Amino acid sequence: MIKILKYATIITGLLVAQVTLLPAHFTDPFKPNLLIIVVAYLALKGTSRADAGLAFLLGLVQDCFSGLYLGLNGFSFLVIYLLLKKTADRLYTDSYYLMILVVFLITIVNSFIHLFLLAIFSVADGVYAPLLAALLPQGLVNALAASLLSGATALKAAEEGK
Amino acid sequence: MLDFIKKYRLHIATGGVLLAAFVFYSLNLKQKSHANAFERGVQNVMAPFYRVVDRVSGTVTLVWEDYLDLVNVRRENKELRESVKTLNARLLETHEAVLANERLKKLLDMKNTLRVPTMAASVIGEDGAPWFKTILIDRGESDGLREGMAVVTSEGVVGQLVKVAARSSRVLLLTDNASAVAGVVQRSRARGVVKGKGGGRCALDFAVHDEDVKVGDLVVASGIGGVFPKGMPVGEVTMVKKGDYGIFQTIEVRPAVNITRLEEVLVLLQQNND
Repeated sequence: MIKILKYATIITGLLVAQVTLLPAHFTDPFKPNLLIIVVAYLALKGTSRADAGLAFLLGLVQDCFSGLYLGLNGFSFLVIYLLLKKTADRLYTDSYYLMILVVFLITIVNSFIHLFLLAIFSVADGVYAPLLAALLPQGLVNALAASLLSGATALKAAEEGK
Repeated sequence: MLDFIKKYRLHIATGGVLLAAFVFYSLNLKQKSHANAFERGVQNVMAPFYRVVDRVSGTVTLVWEDYLDLVNVRRENKELRESVKTLNARLLETHEAVLANERLKKLLDMKNTLRVPTMAASVIGEDGAPWFKTILIDRGESDGLREGMAVVTSEGVVGQLVKVAARSSRVLLLTDNASAVAGVVQRSRARGVVKGKGGGRCALDFAVHDEDVKVGDLVVASGIGGVFPKGMPVGEVTMVKKGDYGIFQTIEVRPAVNITRLEEVLVLLQQNND
């Protein structure tokens, strides 16, 4: 129960930061997608079977505040989670640098999944231009955010270990 | 007699000294305003000492007072810094209030010119993804808002309501790729559809090749579709390209509203096609 509350608090905090706090200080495309970092964390370090559902739920929550298409991020987050989970046992998941690299890569993958789904199922035909333009900055900003969050988590873990 | 003197010598001496002092005093009564030799001597001897002591005392007093002043100045400085901080904060608040007042005054003027009922709302969030252009406002279904309602500011068209919740709603901005508004060039009445192109840009699509459109022309809502009031500013033409072939022109439009600086908006509660 405490774990669930902890997760809920963290996710709510990240969501509030992403929707209200960060847009006030950062312009497009330098607003980080904080929820995708949680998906990466769940896939690389999570042990629960419910994590896949949580990744999907995170996507749906993201959809509630981004774009018009409910389920777009839900689908892409789930695909990313499953892909990462499949490869996680072959990776050194405790590595700080791996987390940063993974977040960068999954941001790119997430954008391409969006591009694919939007191109096929939506009428937003010109969306590829801003999406491709934002691809690299978004990946780098997310990687930076991941490095800060991972650094803070590692610091806290080290303090608890003392 | 001698015995008497011997016996009372102390008393006699005391009386003599007292008498001498009295006589000395009475003799000097006449010259009370003039210093005699004794007085002058004592004054002359003591004056340098007084002078030195006075200077030292003055210096010590000065140092002590300076120290006290310094302590006071430090405290006062601290208090002044605090008050400068407070005043600066108040100044910023006042400046912010003045700006908000100006924005709201414009919005109110706009509200008075519109013939449909409106609802003011504050922007409380933005879209997380850079390729979608939506914002979150603090009014929802409980305030009478419905999907499809027009959202405007004093400068012009902002977008349309999508995804209305009980106490918040999302606005699809004019610049989103999924957004389309029927527009007309104010000067030449050339018609087209203003479509979002992302990244703060729009385009006037379906304006036929022969229509007269120039850079700087104002594009306004045509009123077709009944969402936006006719004549509401949409944007300004920034680029016109007419190819040799094709039936349409390529026209780029800069939105009339600075989408990145939105803080308050007006929602038109009644749609013309209701």
